[in-house]
Amino acid sequence: MSWRLFKQFILRPLLKERARTITTTIGIALGVGVVIAIQLTNASSVRGFETALSTVAGKAGIEIVGTGGINESLLPELGWLREFGAASAVIEGEMAIVEGTAVRPAQRVEALKVLGVDILRDLTLREYVVGAAATSGAQPEGLGGDTLTPQRFLELLTSPQSVVITEKLARRRGYSLGDEIRLMAGDRVNTYVIRGLLKDEGPARVMDGSFVLMDIAAAQLAFDRLGRVDRIDVVLAGASDNAAIDAAVEGIGARLPDGLTAQRPGRRGQQVERMLAAFHLNLTALSWVSLVVGLFLVYNTVTISVIARRDEIGTLRALGVTRGQVLALFLGEAAALGLAGTIVGIGLGRLLADVAVDLTSRTVSTLYIATAAVPPALTPGLIALAFAIGIPLSLVAAWLPSREASLVSPTAAMRGHDRLESRVHLRPRALLLPLAVLILAGGLATLPPINGQPLFGYASSFVTIIGASLLVPAIIYGLARVMRGPLRRMLGVEGLLAHANLSAAIPRLSISVAALAVSLSMMVAVAVMIGSFRDTVVYWVGQTLQADLFIGPGMRPTAGSEQTLSATVIDAVRAHPDVAAVDSFRNIDLVYNNNLVVLGAGNFDIVLSHGSLLFKEPADGREALRRAIGTESVVVSEVFANKYDTKPGDTLMLQTPAGPRPFAVVAVYYDYAVDRGVIVMDRATFVRYFGELAPSGVAAYLKPGAEPEQVRSEILAGLDEGHRAFIYTNRALRAEVLRIFDSTFAITYALEIIAVVVAMLGVGATLLTLVIERRRELSMLRLIGAARRQVQRVVVIEAALIGAASQAIGLVVGLVLSVLLVYVINVQSFGWTIQFRIPVAFLAQVSIAVVIATALAGIYPARQAARLVLTQDE
Amino acid sequence: MSALLHATDLQKTYVTGEARVTALAGVSLTLEPGDFVALMGPSGCGKSTLLHLCGGMDRPTLGEIVFEGKPLASLGDDQLTRVRRDRIGFVFQFFNLLPTLTLGDNIALPCLLGGMRPADAEARAAQLAGRVGIGHRLQHYPQQVSGGEMQRAAIARALVHQPGLLVADEPTGNLDSENGARVLALLTELNSELGITILLATHSSEVARAAQRVLRMRDGKFDDVVAAV
Repeated sequence: MSWRLFKQFILRPLLKERARTITTTIGIALGVGVVIAIQLTNASSVRGFETALSTVAGKAGIEIVGTGGINESLLPELGWLREFGAASAVIEGEMAIVEGTAVRPAQRVEALKVLGVDILRDLTLREYVVGAAATSGAQPEGLGGDTLTPQRFLELLTSPQSVVITEKLARRRGYSLGDEIRLMAGDRVNTYVIRGLLKDEGPARVMDGSFVLMDIAAAQLAFDRLGRVDRIDVVLAGASDNAAIDAAVEGIGARLPDGLTAQRPGRRGQQVERMLAAFHLNLTALSWVSLVVGLFLVYNTVTISVIARRDEIGTLRALGVTRGQVLALFLGEAAALGLAGTIVGIGLGRLLADVAVDLTSRTVSTLYIATAAVPPALTPGLIALAFAIGIPLSLVAAWLPSREASLVSPTAAMRGHDRLESRVHLRPRALLLPLAVLILAGGLATLPPINGQPLFGYASSFVTIIGASLLVPAIIYGLARVMRGPLRRMLGVEGLLAHANLSAAIPRLSISVAALAVSLSMMVAVAVMIGSFRDTVVYWVGQTLQADLFIGPGMRPTAGSEQTLSATVIDAVRAHPDVAAVDSFRNIDLVYNNNLVVLGAGNFDIVLSHGSLLFKEPADGREALRRAIGTESVVVSEVFANKYDTKPGDTLMLQTPAGPRPFAVVAVYYDYAVDRGVIVMDRATFVRYFGELAPSGVAAYLKPGAEPEQVRSEILAGLDEGHRAFIYTNRALRAEVLRIFDSTFAITYALEIIAVVVAMLGVGATLLTLVIERRRELSMLRLIGAARRQVQRVVVIEAALIGAASQAIGLVVGLVLSVLLVYVINVQSFGWTIQFRIPVAFLAQVSIAVVIATALAGIYPARQAARLVLTQDE
Repeated sequence: MSALLHATDLQKTYVTGEARVTALAGVSLTLEPGDFVALMGPSGCGKSTLLHLCGGMDRPTLGEIVFEGKPLASLGDDQLTRVRRDRIGFVFQFFNLLPTLTLGDNIALPCLLGGMRPADAEARAAQLAGRVGIGHRLQHYPQQVSGGEMQRAAIARALVHQPGLLVADEPTGNLDSENGARVLALLTELNSELGITILLATHSSEVARAAQRVLRMRDGKFDDVVAAV
């Protein structure tokens, strides 16, 4: 086939019929764009964390870590580390710049990565290039990037109030050398003096320059980690290839005291990646829905082009163009559209990623890790992925209509005989395949997860969608049979005609209805899942959040960034005359089975007397909790129990600072706050094994008659300028929980809406196909006296009927999918018990909106239909 | 009696790209009620164009058509649609029944589009179907009946709303000789017994012989006028 034929037969019409070409290109672009955007978004949280990790790690090939940090008293015993290379103990954490003098803790303006080091030791591990420095009492001096002697560097950081920040940060916020900067760690606000400015090298590059360097002792003070360091970084002397590092990890590990572990710095990145895996997999699965729906548009477009040029195809065939060449022509059209859509989609994906990162960063930083909310740059790999999905899938979508084109016979096309589509009959045999597929879907749903991922659950959903799509022709056929009378009665002759047109086009229509039904079913499923989840959380919050006030540090903790409350704030709470009891709790990250889980400590006696936990098992959870006070016993969250197959009576080996120790599981409780699993022990037990650590937060129970809002204001007013805390009343915390919940699912709805919009474009395109296909009948109608408005009404009714049928199918399939989401995918990936609820009002609203929206999508084709010329020359 | 249709000096030029094709080059025609007029001529002579103009499907480039006392040029699209729906019936070579409706629904369609009560429209359709000999086929779909039956259904549809004028474009052109003869007999009968005015285009001199007048066309003009026997 010559390029000339392709240009004349395919490209020229594509350029001429801009509406069709642009709609399809947008459809593919949205599909490809959403997939790319979600890949970028997922990468932003993990890669953001990993980049920060490797930037801060510097040359360190190995790190030594311990649960809850490393006791400083152990450091002298680790002198032998010198045999392996240089070692440097560090404190790493997050602080926020606080500006202004307002009492409200919300005044934090920028989060910073803080590294506390012994600079003399650390200079061998990390490269700090000081651009300008000013020791106390001396004039600032520019260094122009020259190295600073260790002696001078040490002088910069001698005072606990001295910090070195980055030139970038200074420029961004207008700081100069010698300026004071107020930083908040936990609930404590301290004033520091900027003694040096780092050039954009080494650790200074972390989080786009939001980096602060201070002396390790100053950092211990600021983070309230006296007597502890977070880890020891080691840079190996000599060879540092993989084998050498592995050997050193083993060699060091063997000599470390109990409770300490040697690992590669990347290990923490892997743990974070695993922690986010379920969240990311969910987003990825959702992102593919838009793409699949977008492909239906390709099918439609190529179908339109085949139908509209049936006569020309016949002529070409008569003139000697082979079937294969006709096939190639139309596949070429799909490839051209796929190429255009992919190119636009890559750009669109980058733009959508900004929005998606915005929507997800709050979730990621609230529930998982602190990370810079900036999507990473497009990689060649992602661009290749875009082309690898955009073009081949477009070809797959175009296969059927292209094949149809290749089968057009020269004579039939010339005579116009093969246009008359006969009525569709349903053979009962046609039901066998979809039913078999649906049975397969049911079977897949019963299979267990793989590596903690509900892969069979997703497969079951996917196969359900395929089975339902295969069933669509039969369903429409059935609907058409029962709706004929009602439509005629309700909508008159237009209803009769719309019904007749649609009934005759069932094979053509099924694809669009399936596309719209698939995207709507996903929306219904997600709505049911989120609605059920939300109701469950509301119930759980109502049952378990019993305290009157919840007090947390001004800096919120995230995985890898612990934040604590100081004694000053806790004492202020305790001292308030209306406070009856205070339960302090402490969370630390614990590595369990190579995954990060949360280890919490609370006062079980106060939980028993004032609070409330919802126990899953045993029946008498409170009695179990009573037995756990002060003993080597723990209660675990439902998520933990599911993920690690744990039940009361089991024993967990937990990594304590003194090495692995056994703890008995006495109860499983419901928790919807943490999806990586929680282990809780009584505070007395915790202190025995992990030491006296400052609490992460406290819950206060007030005396009867006390006014929580007033107590809250009084406690806050009593805090000095150096302390900032969040105090939520019970009602405010419940609202906050639901706000976080809703923001978590914002991205889900956004993805769904895109899929539905693409599907709507598909309905418009299908109707246009039908209008073109039926142009003879439509102009016939006009001839025998149908007014333009009547023809338009017929097409709009057809559109609304397509919407209604799709929504009806979408509702049923969506409910099935929601059962899979709630009882299979959720249980396998997160492990929550969700009470199944159907949000009837919401679904009713969506259904009406869908019918109206599809009717609107029918307006353009309706106008085209009414514009058809009346003469019957063909 | 005033003329049913009076067309004066009709011209029709199609412009496609830079090409101008003159389909009608000044044609005048008068139809009296009860006339049966056949247009004959080679392909491209303009007979279909003349039918389209007289049937209110298209508008002339120049010239005037007065139908039942109303100049069609003065009518808007909706009014012209109403004229077609209420006063003109159409029969085509390829029948042009809607394949998705039963013959009964096809026949009733003009009445339904005009807003008639469905029961009345169906009753009238049934009566006409009986008249044209397909009363037993009302519940069948077009593809389930023969070409002759399809054309008879099309004729019934064209007459169901009791039009003043029946426009037929090659009504037997797609039928075998037996079915063609039956359809022709039906048209003749409708003209002579019910007084329906028929304007018909055909290639067939046999069909033309059934008409009272035959107008021969060539290059967009009438050749001559021959009164039928």
